[in-house]
Amino acid sequence: MADLQRITDVELERALRDLGPRYPYPPTPNLASKVRLRITAQPVARPRRFELWRDPRRLALVAAVLLVLLGAAAVANPATRDAIAHFFHVRGVIVNRQASPLPSFSPVTPLDLGRRTTLADAQSSVKFNIAVPAELGAPDAVYVVSDIPGGEVALAYTPRPSIPLVTQTGLGVLVTEFRGDLNPVFLMKGLGEGTTAEEVSVNGDPGWWISGQPHMIYVEVGGQGQSVPLRLAANTLIWEHAGVTYRIESGLSKADAFRITAGLP
Amino acid sequence: MEGRPLDDIALVERARNGDVNAYEALVQHYQELAFRVAYQVTGNAADAEDAAQEAFVNAYYALGRFRPGAPFRPWLCRIVVNEARNRRTSAQRRTVLAERALVAQSSGDSAQSPEAAAEADAFRSTLVATLRTLRQDDRLILAYRLFFDLSEAEMAQALSVPRGTVKSRLSRALARLREALPADIRMPSPAGEHDG
Repeated sequence: MADLQRITDVELERALRDLGPRYPYPPTPNLASKVRLRITAQPVARPRRFELWRDPRRLALVAAVLLVLLGAAAVANPATRDAIAHFFHVRGVIVNRQASPLPSFSPVTPLDLGRRTTLADAQSSVKFNIAVPAELGAPDAVYVVSDIPGGEVALAYTPRPSIPLVTQTGLGVLVTEFRGDLNPVFLMKGLGEGTTAEEVSVNGDPGWWISGQPHMIYVEVGGQGQSVPLRLAANTLIWEHAGVTYRIESGLSKADAFRITAGLP
Repeated sequence: MEGRPLDDIALVERARNGDVNAYEALVQHYQELAFRVAYQVTGNAADAEDAAQEAFVNAYYALGRFRPGAPFRPWLCRIVVNEARNRRTSAQRRTVLAERALVAQSSGDSAQSPEAAAEADAFRSTLVATLRTLRQDDRLILAYRLFFDLSEAEMAQALSVPRGTVKSRLSRALARLREALPADIRMPSPAGEHDG
């Protein structure tokens, strides 16, 4: 009688191997996109020279010093003056043409977007009304930097069928908003050959559409030509309204990027 | 699975250099294993998902300490189990394997008579229920070896113990499982040999 036989180790092992593929696990969730979002948006230990720039307060301080230095340069150098004058329509951003080729980066440099939080919490941490593009809906992740003047918020959207992956960010669309009036040189952009900057109007406000080859976001040290490159950025639409600077980075065409601005300030 | 370790080495190396696409490919490949290993520890899906996700994020930031060329799978398992244990400690009071009684999927073997298939299903359900009564360590080592097919070397790494210890722990876990099974349990009849 089989039911009186004691199950041997070999039989039990065989029974367990047989059970393995049929074990009643819940369905495996798709972790890949969530993990990707988290690792591209979180700071990571970088070479020491980047440490200074990860502290937004120091960054703001350096930016303030730079503003003075660039102001002096603008007077001395007509070319610089033109570039700055053009981009001062949008406070918080300075765009330069890079004479030399852009440095290469590993495929994705972590974005360092700040503290991950909820939209409601981010709103209470910044001094402007956060605008969420109706076209995109609720962001997949929200990040806030609260220790620069007025704060900064980043809304991250993962790729979708209609929104291609941007290898530079690991995201589909990245929307950042900050008080450009309080942080006049918060971001600097270096454009190489193959990148175009076009003056545009976004909902009636002046802005820029930077497209083509990825451009570099960087901080320049003391106007000595030494720059600390942060990362490469994809197509970017940038504009300012009522002191708040909005930035949409994506792999979208100009028309599609503009579609996202519908309903935004 | 053949050739996988070589793929892993290349992907891990690229991920160590900041290639998030490469890391995503690793996550894609190992998410089922990570989730299931975590589930063996937590016993509920929400904590298992949480633990697996956290483990992948932590593993990414720990890649700098990962020895190039070492196997990725047992290293990942160790991180997953640590994360899962943290969650289980806090969660076990409110849900001790509170998942509804799931029944192991039927083998769907058309060669089996309905009686034999029902018998096999009943046996597997008993096995699942009994496994859930085992100590977490016992359940995990049995799962590593017999569900996830880790080699002894990989198990030794995943559990941070010598290989000899793996063998003895495995055999003790098997013995405890057998003792925990109902006294009247019998092996289901092999397909086509229903003994009536």
